[in-house]
Amino acid sequence: MEGMRSQLRMSLSSSGFAKLHVVSTIKEALERISQHHYDVILCDYMLGDSTDGQQFLEYLRTRDLIHRNTIFVMITAEQSYERVVTASECAPDDYLLKPFTAGQFNTRLEKLLDRQDYFTAIDRASDKKNWAQVIVECDKLLVAKDKYFVDLCKIKGAALIRDKRVAQAATLYREIIALRPLAWAKLGLARALVLLNEKEEAVRLAREILDETPQFMAAYDFLSKLMAESGDKKAALEVLQSAGRVSPGTMSRIREVSTLAISTGQHEIAEKLMRATLQKHKHSPVRQADDFTVLSRALMHQGKTDEALAVVKDAQKTFTDPHSSVLLGATESRVHRSAGNEMLALAALDKVMQVGELGHLPADAVMAMADACFALNREEDAIRLLRHAVQNHHEDAAIKGKVHDVLVAAGKDTAEASAMIANSTSEVVLLNNDGVKKAQAGQLNEAIQLLCEASDSLPNNLQILGNAALVMALDLLRNGQTPEKLAMCLARRESLVIKSPHNPKLEQIDGVLKQLKP
Amino acid sequence: MNDLYTAVVHDVKNQLAELALRLGKRKDAQHEMAMVMGAARRLSEMLLVYQDAENLLQVNTDSVSPEDFLAILTAEYRELFPALTITVVTDRAPACAFFDDALVRLALSNALHNACRHARTAICVSAYQDEEMLVFSIVDDGEGFSEDVLASQGRTPTASRGTGTGLGLYLAHKIALRHRLQACHGTIRLSNEPGGCFRMFLP
Repeated sequence: MEGMRSQLRMSLSSSGFAKLHVVSTIKEALERISQHHYDVILCDYMLGDSTDGQQFLEYLRTRDLIHRNTIFVMITAEQSYERVVTASECAPDDYLLKPFTAGQFNTRLEKLLDRQDYFTAIDRASDKKNWAQVIVECDKLLVAKDKYFVDLCKIKGAALIRDKRVAQAATLYREIIALRPLAWAKLGLARALVLLNEKEEAVRLAREILDETPQFMAAYDFLSKLMAESGDKKAALEVLQSAGRVSPGTMSRIREVSTLAISTGQHEIAEKLMRATLQKHKHSPVRQADDFTVLSRALMHQGKTDEALAVVKDAQKTFTDPHSSVLLGATESRVHRSAGNEMLALAALDKVMQVGELGHLPADAVMAMADACFALNREEDAIRLLRHAVQNHHEDAAIKGKVHDVLVAAGKDTAEASAMIANSTSEVVLLNNDGVKKAQAGQLNEAIQLLCEASDSLPNNLQILGNAALVMALDLLRNGQTPEKLAMCLARRESLVIKSPHNPKLEQIDGVLKQLKP
Repeated sequence: MNDLYTAVVHDVKNQLAELALRLGKRKDAQHEMAMVMGAARRLSEMLLVYQDAENLLQVNTDSVSPEDFLAILTAEYRELFPALTITVVTDRAPACAFFDDALVRLALSNALHNACRHARTAICVSAYQDEEMLVFSIVDDGEGFSEDVLASQGRTPTASRGTGTGLGLYLAHKIALRHRLQACHGTIRLSNEPGGCFRMFLP
C-alpha cells in the first residue's frame, strides 16, 4: 500500500500537480476534505478501517462533501467490483485496475482533466442544485454533438426531472433509447413515467432492465421503492434481496432491506443482515445511529430483549448528537417496555420527550418518539407527534407513508390511519390559506402573526415559510420599513433559500423586496 | 468460482502490482514489466472466461469516445515496447460509440500485446465505422498468425502463433459475442495481411 502511494505521488508530481496530500486513513482523508478543495481524489478500493472505497465515495457524495467537479478515481484489483458499480448511481469517475503503468495512469488523468474542464459550468450549477441552469449549460454544449454528447444528455435528463420538467425528460430519454437502448436511459424514462402517473409502464421498464442487465443495481432500488409505495412490501423486499445476490450492496440498500424485513415481520432477516453489516464496518464512519435501532428492533421483535438493549446502549456511547439521542432513547424505551420494565421504559421516554422544539428534529426521530409513546399507551402524545411530522412535511409522500406504518403498527386500521394523515394535511393547508386570505384582505398584521407562529412550530413546511416571508415583504412595502422588520423578513427568506434554493416563492418575495425604496 | 479462488486471484494480482511498482522505478525493465502486465491480464481473462461459461458475464454498454479509448490503450504499450512505433488512426470513427469500455479494453489489450510481441517495427491501431458496425483493428508487420489460429478464429482456445494458451483470443471472441443490439452481435476476425491483423466488430 505504501509503495502504491509513493508511486502515485511520483506520477502526479511529474504530471505537474503542485499540491499533493497523501493520507493513510479515512479519518485523515475526511479531515483534509473538510478543509481543502481537491481537483482529484485517488482512492484504493481496499481501504482497511473496515470501509471500502465505494462506501467512502458514497459517504462523500450523499453528504455533498466533495464538489461534483472533483475527479474521484478508484484503484482496484477487483474486476468484479467494477462490473457491478459501473452501473450504480454512485460510480467513481474512473477505475484503475491494478497493476497499471505510469503511462496509462498519466494518459487517463489527462483525459479526466479535459473532461473536468469541459463540464465546469455544469458542475458548478449542480453543486448549487440550480437545475434550470444545469439544463441551460447542457444545451449550450449539446449543439456541438461531440464525444460528450451522450454524457450531456444523461446529466440533462436528470436535471429536467429535478426541475420538474418531467414530460421533457421523458422525451429526451426516449430519444436516447432510440439511439441506443442504454439501461440508464430506460431507468430515467421509468422515473419520469412514475411522475407522469404511468406506474405500470414504469414497472414493466424496470423489470426489462433487470432482465437485460441484472447488474444494474439502481434499477432494483427503483423497483423496490415503487413496490413499497404501492403497499406491496413483501415484493419490495424480494426485489432488494435479489439485488443482494448480485452485489453485497450499499449501506442505504442494506438499511432499506432491513427496514422492509422488519415491517413484513421477517425479523431474523433484518437481524442477520444488520448484525453482519455493523460488524463488518466496525470503526467505520458509514454507520449511523438508526442502523443500531433497526438491529435492536429486529432483536426485540424476536423476544431477545437483553441483546436488543445491549445494542442500544452500545450505540449511545458512539452517537451523542440530539437526533441520534432521540432515536436511540425512543428505541431504548420500546425495548424496556417489550421486556416488561414499564418504569424504565417511562424513564427513557421522559428523557427523550424533554428534547424541546420538535420542529428541527428529522421526521424519523419524531416518529420513533411517537412509536414509543404508543407502546406506553400515551396515545395523545403519539398522535400529537405524528400530526406534527405530517404537518412539518405536508408535501412529502414518503414521510406520510412512514407515519401510516407507525399508526398501523400501533393497532390502527388503515382507514383510520389514512384519515388521520389526511386531516393533519388539510389542517395545515387551511392554516396556510387562512394566512394568505388575511393578507389579501389587507389584514397584514394578523397574517404575519398567524404565518410566523405556524412557521416557528413547523420550520420545514416550506409553503408556510415562503408565505410568511412574502407577507412580511408586503408589509414592508405598504406600511414602511424599519431595520428590525426588514431583518426579520430577510431571515425568513434566507431560511427558505437554505432549505429550498430554487423555491418558486423566492421570485415573488424578491419581486416585492425590489420595490422597496432604499 | 468460489470466493477462495477469487480471493487468491486478487491476492496474486496485488503481488503483481507491487512487483510492477518496483520495476517501474527501474528505467531498464520494460520487458519484465510487460511480463507482469501480461500475467495480471491472464488472471483477469481466466476469471471472465469462467464467468462467461457460467453465464454470469454481463455487458455494461455505455457511450465511449473511441479516440480517448485508443489513446489510453496504446499509452501502456508505447511504454512497455519503446522500440516499436504504434500509430492510432481514428479519423473514420464516430465521436462517441457504444460498448463496454472495460471488457473491450481487456480484449484489445491482449490483441495489442500479441501484436507487440510479434511486430518487427510498427503497429497500427485504428477505429472506424463500417456500415452498422464499429470496428477496432490492430495490424502488425510481423510474421502473421499460424494456420491453427487462423482456422480457429478464437472460437476455441488455440495457442496464438505457437505460444501462449489462446485464452485471450477466445475471450475476445466471447466478449464480442456478448455485445448485442437487436438481432446483431459482435465478432472478431483474424487474418494475415501479411502481418497479423486482428479486427473486432461491434454492433
